[in-house]
Amino acid sequence: MFKRLYIYKDLLLVFIWREFLIRYKQTAIGVLWAVLQPVSLMLLFTFIFGVVLKTNHKDYPYVLFFYAGVLPWTFFSGSTNFAVTSLSNNFNLVTKIYFPREIIPLSGVAINLIDYLIGLLVYFVLLLVYRTPLTWNFLWLFPLMAMLVMYTTSISFFLAALNVYYRDVKLASAFLLQFLFFATPVIYSIDTVESRWKALLFLNPLVFIVENMRRVTIEGRGIILWQIALELLGIIVLYLIIYRIFIRIERAFADVI
Amino acid sequence: MSSEPVIEFNNIWKKYSKQQVLNNSLRDELVSVITGKKSRDELSDGEFWALKNISFVVEKGECIGLCGPNGSGKSTILKLISNVTFPTKGSINVFGRVAPLIELGAGMHPDLTGFENIYMNGTILGLSIRELKNKCSDIVEFSGLSDFINVPVKKYSSGMYLRLAFSIAVHSTADILLFDEVLTVGDQEFRDRCEQKIEELMALEKTIIIVSHETKMLDMFADKIVKLEHGAITAG
Repeated sequence: MFKRLYIYKDLLLVFIWREFLIRYKQTAIGVLWAVLQPVSLMLLFTFIFGVVLKTNHKDYPYVLFFYAGVLPWTFFSGSTNFAVTSLSNNFNLVTKIYFPREIIPLSGVAINLIDYLIGLLVYFVLLLVYRTPLTWNFLWLFPLMAMLVMYTTSISFFLAALNVYYRDVKLASAFLLQFLFFATPVIYSIDTVESRWKALLFLNPLVFIVENMRRVTIEGRGIILWQIALELLGIIVLYLIIYRIFIRIERAFADVI
Repeated sequence: MSSEPVIEFNNIWKKYSKQQVLNNSLRDELVSVITGKKSRDELSDGEFWALKNISFVVEKGECIGLCGPNGSGKSTILKLISNVTFPTKGSINVFGRVAPLIELGAGMHPDLTGFENIYMNGTILGLSIRELKNKCSDIVEFSGLSDFINVPVKKYSSGMYLRLAFSIAVHSTADILLFDEVLTVGDQEFRDRCEQKIEELMALEKTIIIVSHETKMLDMFADKIVKLEHGAITAG
């Protein structure tokens, strides 16, 4: 992948820059949107579960609990949402000029990553405000983020390519994302789930990632090594399969789009 | 003029489908990922040959004109040269970087300013960011749009749009330039300037392929004119 993209690295940069410009053009508050979205979701969940339903998840603040889940979720759903229609919307480029097609969905992952990083700064501030003790386990956050980016990229490539053939994907993905939201422990914790369901939920790599992001940052606990090894292996294999298929069918995109 | 071939088409056949939902083609592709087999050669329902047994050679520095009625396969040939699509049968060799100036401005975004679109379109045509930094003022000057360069292109007139797109295109550093019906728009003054620019590019030994209905335009530049009809070469 890197060899293929290296020649086109300037194009990728310009694509990212373009998406970033377009996104915040003619907006009043600009890049603040990157923070506003996850923060308002977090506040909503805190209100619903803390005030209305009065459920008790964990022995630490709701604000941290929800924000830690909302951030990776927003990144995942934002990237995949962008990716689904990214190739079909750019059909006038795809049918006229050759460049590695993955550049388009990849630029969506990149701008959402920028938003994610901005949102992460707010997370660090929140951790300080709530006086969360900092441990070395905190550093696990970064490999977890790398796994999240890789998984999100695979799904983005998959959806973007499939939508070139079937526009059903666009319609189905909105629904599937909603479904996946509830299958990901954003508004709940996997600890409250019975163990026989846990195995099923862990088939969704987002479960492992989101759950452990809370664990290493808020709780200061480490990661179970065999679990991360297994998840990482799964994510890498998935990526290699999807990328291989993507490169193969990319040749036909201009004919079928 | 040195005679080294830069584009070679050997018995090219290209099949297209008229169907809207192409589930067959996805299945074919996936099967070929596993088995490594090439796609089928015969026509099935709703398919037709866009190109039938096309062979030609273009040498370095040559200027070739492609002409023919709509649907005769001119644009398909350009797409094959620029690697956007692949032949069903036959082989193609292209040596050198290709800048496909097919439908100028395909890479423009209406919300971005002219200046921002220079970077956008320029990188799509294969220029690096560094090259664009150097050429930016030349491009702006050539387009004659310096007063409007910081305006979003959605506010441009279609003539201004075209000027900007063409200016970016002719500053490309590619070895092979493909022009698809691009010079038929724009006012006389700008067309004169474009024609002059094409002559300059030809003097630089660039290989140029022009697609046009206008034979007058082709007669002026082309060393060789290839006439197409229903996907086959009728003259040239």
